[in-house]
Amino acid sequence: MLTLIHRSGRWLFHRAEGVFNFAFGDRLNPLYYLGPISYFLFWIVVASGLYLYVFFSTGVNQAYDSVEYLTVQQWYLGGVMRSLHRYASDGMVFFMLLHLGRHFFFDQYRSFRWFSWITGIVLLWLVYAAGINGYMLPWDRLAQFVVVATAEWFDWLPIFNGTLIRNFIFQESVNDRLFSLLSFIHIGIPLGTLFLLWVHTQRVPQARTNPPWPIAVTLLAALVVLSLVKPAVSLERADLSAAVTTIPFDWFYLTVYPLIYEWSPGAVWALTGGLTALLVLLPWLPPKRRLGPQEGFHIMVHPDNRIIPVREGESVLDAALKEGIPMPFECRNGGCGVCKGTVLSGRVDPGLYQSNVLTEEERQAGKALFCVCTPLSDIEIEYEPKEAPGGIPVKTYTARVERMRKLSPDVMQVFLKPGGGEKIRFYPGQYINIILPDGEKRAFSFATAPHLADLIELHVRLIPGGRFTTHVFNEMKEGDPVRFEGPLGAFFLREDSRKPIIFVAGATGFAPVKAMVEHAFHTGLKRQMLLYWGVRSLKDLYLADLPHQWEREHANFKFVPVLSEARPEDHWQGRTGLVHEAIIEDFPDLAEHQIYACGSVAMVEAAHPAFVSHGLSADDCFSDAFKLAPQIQARATEMVKLGGRL
Amino acid sequence: MKAARFVAQALLYVPLMVILGYFSTQPRFTDIAHGQALVRLSFSHAGARKVECRQRTPEELAKLPPNMRAAMDCPRERSPVKVEIEMDGRVIFAADVPPAGFTKDGASTIYRRLPVAAGKHRFVARLRDRPEGEFNYVHEESLDLAPGRAVVIDFNAAQGGFLFKG
Repeated sequence: MLTLIHRSGRWLFHRAEGVFNFAFGDRLNPLYYLGPISYFLFWIVVASGLYLYVFFSTGVNQAYDSVEYLTVQQWYLGGVMRSLHRYASDGMVFFMLLHLGRHFFFDQYRSFRWFSWITGIVLLWLVYAAGINGYMLPWDRLAQFVVVATAEWFDWLPIFNGTLIRNFIFQESVNDRLFSLLSFIHIGIPLGTLFLLWVHTQRVPQARTNPPWPIAVTLLAALVVLSLVKPAVSLERADLSAAVTTIPFDWFYLTVYPLIYEWSPGAVWALTGGLTALLVLLPWLPPKRRLGPQEGFHIMVHPDNRIIPVREGESVLDAALKEGIPMPFECRNGGCGVCKGTVLSGRVDPGLYQSNVLTEEERQAGKALFCVCTPLSDIEIEYEPKEAPGGIPVKTYTARVERMRKLSPDVMQVFLKPGGGEKIRFYPGQYINIILPDGEKRAFSFATAPHLADLIELHVRLIPGGRFTTHVFNEMKEGDPVRFEGPLGAFFLREDSRKPIIFVAGATGFAPVKAMVEHAFHTGLKRQMLLYWGVRSLKDLYLADLPHQWEREHANFKFVPVLSEARPEDHWQGRTGLVHEAIIEDFPDLAEHQIYACGSVAMVEAAHPAFVSHGLSADDCFSDAFKLAPQIQARATEMVKLGGRL
Repeated sequence: MKAARFVAQALLYVPLMVILGYFSTQPRFTDIAHGQALVRLSFSHAGARKVECRQRTPEELAKLPPNMRAAMDCPRERSPVKVEIEMDGRVIFAADVPPAGFTKDGASTIYRRLPVAAGKHRFVARLRDRPEGEFNYVHEESLDLAPGRAVVIDFNAAQGGFLFKG
């Protein structure tokens, strides 16, 4: 039954979205921005409400008079503001219900989405409470009805049991304090709503809280026109000695109020309480959808060359955004096609989308819309990057090999000079993809800070049998052309924290660390920085003089080399063992540190849980390597290694 | 094509604004129908004790701890308040209103809306706040209720019993 309701609703939304796509275009379709529009209407309500509050008087006689002054004498501004306040509030309920309905029909309320679903329901009730409370303030006949009906409704509860209405039984029962109380509530509830709105959207990666400006402007203009054509006005002054007979009625907010008298207050409590309980329980009610293991699947993402987790029922786009991958998107509803990419291997549910943005031929060719597509197994995908964090565009460049230097038997320092002297903008820690003649890509981190990017420095480690690295060591010479794309990746230095930084570098994982440290020195970062560089033997510390020099020149930098397999001829007197164990030995409590881990997947896999178990916050741990999913058949598994990428 | 899109946009915005504009005031709601008036019964009154206070015997007092030897034994439970409203010789509302509280020692509170036809009516309000016996408060009043008028029937023993206001 529920499945049938879902299908019917989806069909209806899908058709409506198609019609709206024709009128607005797929990127400005209001139906794709139901949540952001509700947010926008909330801001209109707040702004107009603040204006009204300047003129509103909290007295039993003054309340009505002040609202009348705004409506009649100051109709050109106060009146318009009052009408905007009314219609934006009504519109907010309308769009919130549509937003809730869409998530319900598209079955997007189960599993990890339960939190957003339930906070959304609480939000809806808060908005209702604020709106109903707002109707009490003008103290006209409608206000009288709302106050009396609300008191009668609440009086059904044993805790009140007929005492609440005693405050509104005679005209003299109401005094100025009531309006102070109502105003206090009318400010307090929206503040609570705003806080919960913030909580509600926190769980959605890169949630939009504002619609595109053309939608916002058009909607505001339409509401202003409506306010001028049909201004919100007061009825007669409230008179508790007279009964409320026939009145204009706001059906958006007061929907259940007639039922208080048609049925009974108890029946309305049963209806609202039952409906709320049903909505709250909905995420756990059958039919349950279990498509795979409870822990979800993994996605190998190209061109980032990262393996990321995806939860059951979660779209590929949401999983990617959550992990900081700058995957392009716009409508998030299968309507615009901006998030179109390729599924290289694995099974997916393509989801529901407008057929004109993804043709059958494209689908057969493995294309999918990542905003609506959910994995049915571990998958491997590729998307076309549009921009990296910070709005830096991802472009393809041609460069020449400026110079090369062998730093150790198996590490080559390569400097590239982009064509036309172009200086590339990037964040320290990001990387580029070298494009091979047949289109294959190999990733290498920038080893220089952005301010030194006239030449791009790479540390290339020789991988036995590796196609590109063998070429670098055996055939590449100065002057050779190189094509690459970038900048890529979300692994970069976060400068919005005051916590000391621990850099963990494994082998050529030193390259992005070098970029970050040089950038930190350049910008005058005063945070304490510690570099733990873990290698097998002394010969692998290919640029050890540099961090030693930093240590001498900067009081806030410390360098700790760690050898895991020191040879007798190394005569090593320093730290030995695994690099993460050395860190934990020095810092048993990592709660007040940030860690940037760059190295092999094995190193990061071993280090991450150890760090977390010693108090490191998940928000303070940055690495490009994630849990490996053995089912994924990547074309080159070494590509997930940082710094020493193949 | 562009013009068609603008027209289509307008055609979609207009219904949205019509929906917002219309349902913010219409259809009108009728609380008390034309030709009717509203009688509201509301009071909060504590009934008499269900069991009268009595003098404790010396033996009973001796059994009590010294700090609890009150001469009078007064059980807290109060009697329900029985109320009846008669209009033009017909009882239109009757109830036994229980006292509030877990030990039933609070006031009996009631609120009822009684929509009636407008016009001249003779009301009789009766109340008994004792455990048994006849109504000990009776008040009669003739009212000419205009359509849409609201009358409150309150009760205050200190002011003599029932009060018709409005």
